[in-house]
Amino acid sequence: MATRRRHPRRRVDEDGRRLHSAGSAIVVALLALLAGALLNPPGLHKSAEIQPQGWKRDVALAVTEPLTSVSDALFLDRPRRGLKAVLGRSEDDEIDTGIAIPDRPPETTPIAPPSREKFTPTRPLRIWVAGDSLVVVPGQSILRAVGERRAIEPIGDVDGRIASGLERPDVFNWFEHVSEVMTKEKPRAVVLMFGGNDDHAFMTGLPEGREIGAFGRASWTAEYRRRVAGVMDTVTRKGAYLVWIGLPITNDPEQTIRFDTINAVVQSQAAKRPGRVSYLDTYFFFAGDDGGYAQYVENDSGRLVKMRADDGVHFERAAGDLIARKVLAHLNQRFDLTSWKRGRS
Amino acid sequence: MLFPTATFAIFFMVVLPLSWLLMPRGERWRAFIIAASFVFYAGWDWRFSILLAFSILWNQVFALAIHARRDARARKLLLTAALTGNLALLGYFKYYDFFITSTNNLFASVGIDVPLEARSIILPVGISFFTFMAISYVVDVYRGDFAPSGLGKFAAYLSFFPHLVAGPIVRPGELIPQLDSPRDPRYVDTSRAFFLIGTGLFMKVVIANYLASNIVDEVFGAPNQHSSLEVLVGIYAYAVQIYADFFGYTSIAIGLALLLGFRFPQNFDAPYTAVSIQDFWRRWHMTLSRWLRDYLYIPLGGNRGSSLFTYRNLMLTMLIGGLWHGAGWTFVAWGAIHGSALVGERWWSERPGYVEPPSTAWRRAWQRFVTFQIVCFAWIFFRSDSFSDAWEVIVRLFTAWSEPSELVTGGVLLAIAVGIGSQYLPRRLPLVLMARFSRLPVPAQALVLSVALLATHAMGPEGVAPFIYFQF
Repeated sequence: MATRRRHPRRRVDEDGRRLHSAGSAIVVALLALLAGALLNPPGLHKSAEIQPQGWKRDVALAVTEPLTSVSDALFLDRPRRGLKAVLGRSEDDEIDTGIAIPDRPPETTPIAPPSREKFTPTRPLRIWVAGDSLVVVPGQSILRAVGERRAIEPIGDVDGRIASGLERPDVFNWFEHVSEVMTKEKPRAVVLMFGGNDDHAFMTGLPEGREIGAFGRASWTAEYRRRVAGVMDTVTRKGAYLVWIGLPITNDPEQTIRFDTINAVVQSQAAKRPGRVSYLDTYFFFAGDDGGYAQYVENDSGRLVKMRADDGVHFERAAGDLIARKVLAHLNQRFDLTSWKRGRS
Repeated sequence: MLFPTATFAIFFMVVLPLSWLLMPRGERWRAFIIAASFVFYAGWDWRFSILLAFSILWNQVFALAIHARRDARARKLLLTAALTGNLALLGYFKYYDFFITSTNNLFASVGIDVPLEARSIILPVGISFFTFMAISYVVDVYRGDFAPSGLGKFAAYLSFFPHLVAGPIVRPGELIPQLDSPRDPRYVDTSRAFFLIGTGLFMKVVIANYLASNIVDEVFGAPNQHSSLEVLVGIYAYAVQIYADFFGYTSIAIGLALLLGFRFPQNFDAPYTAVSIQDFWRRWHMTLSRWLRDYLYIPLGGNRGSSLFTYRNLMLTMLIGGLWHGAGWTFVAWGAIHGSALVGERWWSERPGYVEPPSTAWRRAWQRFVTFQIVCFAWIFFRSDSFSDAWEVIVRLFTAWSEPSELVTGGVLLAIAVGIGSQYLPRRLPLVLMARFSRLPVPAQALVLSVALLATHAMGPEGVAPFIYFQF
């Protein structure tokens, strides 16, 4: 009697690889993902934590929190921590929501500079450009524009952090970072742009027991104002001059209204710090003839150029160049960056 | 929905078993895979899926009409209409604003104000890829190479999610016959699939993203802030970044398709080992190269004429190939550099009395070096936003050798070395590794893959950057 074969005959392809069943592929993929999840909980948990508020974040946190506990108890997260340590990136998985800002209220009297402060190639103006992803293109334009001015020395490249802002120190803690850069690098001019990811009501790093209301409500505004003021004071109390770039009009009218709310907070705080903080309103730079959003706008030489990226929010290079010129005009009111050249000639 | 994300992993782990369960039931499987592909595509913007559906219906209607006619003139007219529809779709979404701004600025330069307005049109992801695949379908039907398939099969062919947004550009003759019969669930090339997915993830998440965030974006963002050495290394780094990014994507796509039981054509074959630009195009984005050859270069006349005629066809093919990548003059310049190099090579080898010197190791090394420099020079234009930006990069390359080079770190050099060195590995090595992997028991295979996932996740920068070729 012929015996019935239960398993298919093994087959090997021309390169000597053993072919497997689809069931085997599914099992291997599933096990690999599960084991991968158990080996990577710190990273997965951070990815879940920094997601935008919503059900996806809730589900991700509900999954990764017990995974983290299991992995930690079984020491399964040690290889990842070891690898991160070897790479010198041990802090990657840490989440720091502490908001370190000066306690004292800002002084309302302007600090009058003696005159436009002078800088030379031997004593250059140190400038730092930082913010969320919106600052990257204008920041690069600023750095390109100052590239040939030997009296200006940029501190590194543009310090732009994607998806960050002042609402979510868990995504990136700007309060710590600004303080650290101001202490270590001592820039005299700082260009910041925040708010592109702050147009919602979800804030982390709130004082214990404190809750905020909907976006734009009094409690939200009070907390956001506190954070904006804190960043401005951290910068200016170290003696630096701050240019804060306002948020632009976008292709989503509702988003533009939310950006207006943020701009109003920033503008009012800048006005309280005359001579130390300057607010650059970008709204009308990118409005069309009808006052609404326009992706293509004529530049100074009358050429129609693409100013805004396809997402309707971010900038193209031409827009960056336009903002850079305005930022440098603001800096020129406070600093004399060309006198060393005139003196030499 | 990006491949290296948890969302996609969950999506795929739902699709994979269901696909195999439904595989024996042809019609149901096709309906399922089309639905899954539309869900995948709608993850970017649900409105894009209307375009995809339109492309499927438009091309199927014309393919059936062309096939039904015997009259050559009517067939040609129908083909022209089908191609016009495809190119109009691509032209409107990808090139309309480019055309308007170029026209306005051209007339403005001679003092004429043209009242044409740009429309802020959003470019649907992958439109260049699925339009080229649709064109190859109607052209193959017209040529009689291929009979039109049913609507379900064609829809599954065009929308199949592993290739949908950035290729490889799969020919109808390569995929539609595989859709005719159920794949055999007993024999799946799982080790090759996992190897491709693993290497693809590593190249994208670790190599491409690391180079982008540690040198390329900074150098091309503000070249005059960087030393000549940083600019030079930044250009080489971009060459590796774009290779790692696109090779990574297509490797993952080919691996995913294999797990679902389908074979896609190879898209890269160690392109930076090419000994000439012609050789480079046999190794880089191979499915686009052969598409341009078969649906553009040969219909233009190919090399069936005088040398000048051939040079014209080569230049036209490369210029259009450049424009296919993006609506900008810098992409045209990129195509022109490659076209000129191809013409130059052809002219050189066709000179009267020219005899090909013997191929020695030194000669090949020199040819590889020169070819790589030409390719990298062309990448400057590909990466730059404008000619003035590209010029700034080129000038900086020669004018700041005394400046410090903080961006040229050991990590950057290592990533470049890995990206280029991996192309010089013996061809047997991955085959041996895959064969050994295939003989491991299931738990051991899963363990190896999970360790690879751990390393890739830990070594990659935070966040997931989109693939470069998505914008094309």
